[in-house]
Amino acid sequence: MSATLLETRQITRRFGGLVAVDGVDLDVAEGEVHGLIGPNGAGKTTMLNLLSGHLPSSSGSILFADADVTRHAAEKRAIAGIRRTFQNLKLFKELPALDNVMVGLHASTRSEIFHALLRTPFQRREEREIVERAREALDFVGLGPFADKAAGSLPYGHQRLLEIARAFVARPKLLLLDEPAAGLNGAESKALVDLIRRIRAAGTTTVLVEHHMDVVMPTCDRITVLNYGKLLAKGTPQDIRHNSEVIGAYLGKGSALKRERAAQEGAVHAAP
Amino acid sequence: MGIIVNPNLLRILALLALAAVPLVESNSYWLHVFSVALIAAVLALGLQLLVGMAGMLSLGQGAFYGIGAYTAGIVATSFGLPFLLTLLAGGIAAALASLLLIPLVKLKGSSLGVATLGFSIIIHLLILNEEWLTGGSLGLMGIPDPEIFGLNLAHDEAFYWLCLVILALVYVSIDRINTSRFGRALAAIAQDEEAARASGIQIALCKSKCFLIAAFTAGLAGTLYAYHSRYLSPNDFTFNKSIEVLIMVVVGGLGSLPGAVLGAFIVVLMPEYLRSSGELRMILFGTAVVVLMGTGNRGLIGLLQAAASLVLSRLPSFGRSRYVVRPGE
Repeated sequence: MSATLLETRQITRRFGGLVAVDGVDLDVAEGEVHGLIGPNGAGKTTMLNLLSGHLPSSSGSILFADADVTRHAAEKRAIAGIRRTFQNLKLFKELPALDNVMVGLHASTRSEIFHALLRTPFQRREEREIVERAREALDFVGLGPFADKAAGSLPYGHQRLLEIARAFVARPKLLLLDEPAAGLNGAESKALVDLIRRIRAAGTTTVLVEHHMDVVMPTCDRITVLNYGKLLAKGTPQDIRHNSEVIGAYLGKGSALKRERAAQEGAVHAAP
Repeated sequence: MGIIVNPNLLRILALLALAAVPLVESNSYWLHVFSVALIAAVLALGLQLLVGMAGMLSLGQGAFYGIGAYTAGIVATSFGLPFLLTLLAGGIAAALASLLLIPLVKLKGSSLGVATLGFSIIIHLLILNEEWLTGGSLGLMGIPDPEIFGLNLAHDEAFYWLCLVILALVYVSIDRINTSRFGRALAAIAQDEEAARASGIQIALCKSKCFLIAAFTAGLAGTLYAYHSRYLSPNDFTFNKSIEVLIMVVVGGLGSLPGAVLGAFIVVLMPEYLRSSGELRMILFGTAVVVLMGTGNRGLIGLLQAAASLVLSRLPSFGRSRYVVRPGE
């Protein structure tokens, strides 16, 4: 296994009396797709928010690319190369799809207000590059033809892809995908599997929070399972598939899985 | 799709039309009023950047306008600085004053609105009470003619064109800011702060810069006003001024630069045209504002765009042009 890109040590997050994430050690190797699964309320989205810096941790530490980023705010982590999508879609709805992706390049471009006022050659060149890279990212996720459409007017599945394009356009070191398959139909899920593989091939490490096993199993190199905020198991998809504790907590119970899917939108958001 | 016309062409036509006003309107009173409208448009453009682009509701623009006006008035009367330097001084003083409010920029919506309103009230009281500096309730008198490199611009037409040049520069500047990396960051912040942070945008920093630019713009407008009226009275800089600017921006159309200019002209000119209605004029004006807002939140510019696309949709030959006016342009 290659070097570790992201590591959490005893990371914990409390909401009043509830311990949403309880002393979890997670390690994500460079270049892999790492699945983060678990029953509803297991703390997956909270975990993702801790990794992206959208929630501060109560205790424990987070190491990213050999630096301690535990106290770094979300924007600082984004600048360092951690990008994410949101389970409940946070697009800039009134902006065209292309502009949404262009915003994703904010931290990797330099021109200041001064350059914009004078329209310096540097600024014009950079703007051209931003547009070009944003178009490439739209093409990469298959939204090329919708560049000029307002983000909010796109169909749901396309909005999910647009979030991925915005997060991926700056070629982050680490991409955090929060339930990218939620609400997608079968064909869209298959396309998502292909997209996640292409992101991996492009050299970006991914943490994938997902319920849909038909997306998790074919894409993940390793999987970490959470249950009630605690680490339940880690291993390859094969290991996890055959882990009796995991089966007991989550996979084997068809009825639990259905309940989970039905409640998906509710409880996981409600946590933060 | 919106109207299909070249926006640059529209801007140039609008500029030429405004530049021609002194050639057709020789009445010095009306020229005077039109100059006030141009100054108001500069003020409104600054607020449009704040409210329309960055989604920051500010009721402090009137205060920065006052700071700019008094700074220009004081440096012009006490130190005899030439116009271009006082213009710069007015803008910079307002921008520096805005630094005082930087800790507040994180406030959202009505909280920021009320906090900046409080600032407007404080600045008005300072202007009123610090007589040694501002002349207090007697006002500040004796502001000299504006001169640029020895050229006297005090004449009605010359001053009108001076205001127009500055308005055009401010318009182009804010338009360039809007369509830049920084402008996109502001639009992103206005629509979803969490997602903006996830893209590496430093929200407090961007908002502070935006606040500073808007204050600088208000300071420029204040300076022009000082040279225009030659006499500054504290009554011109109550918190009413801040509210008036907000009306301009919202009536014209939130998020639209031409809307801000249009709104400024409506708010300044309409009560003047209604002057014959005597005491009723402010009631008529207020009613017009209420009715216009009742038509939706896109303001006058939204109505104009809807009307124009209705007309143009019946003229298929217009459909070939390569430019599309999107909402907000």
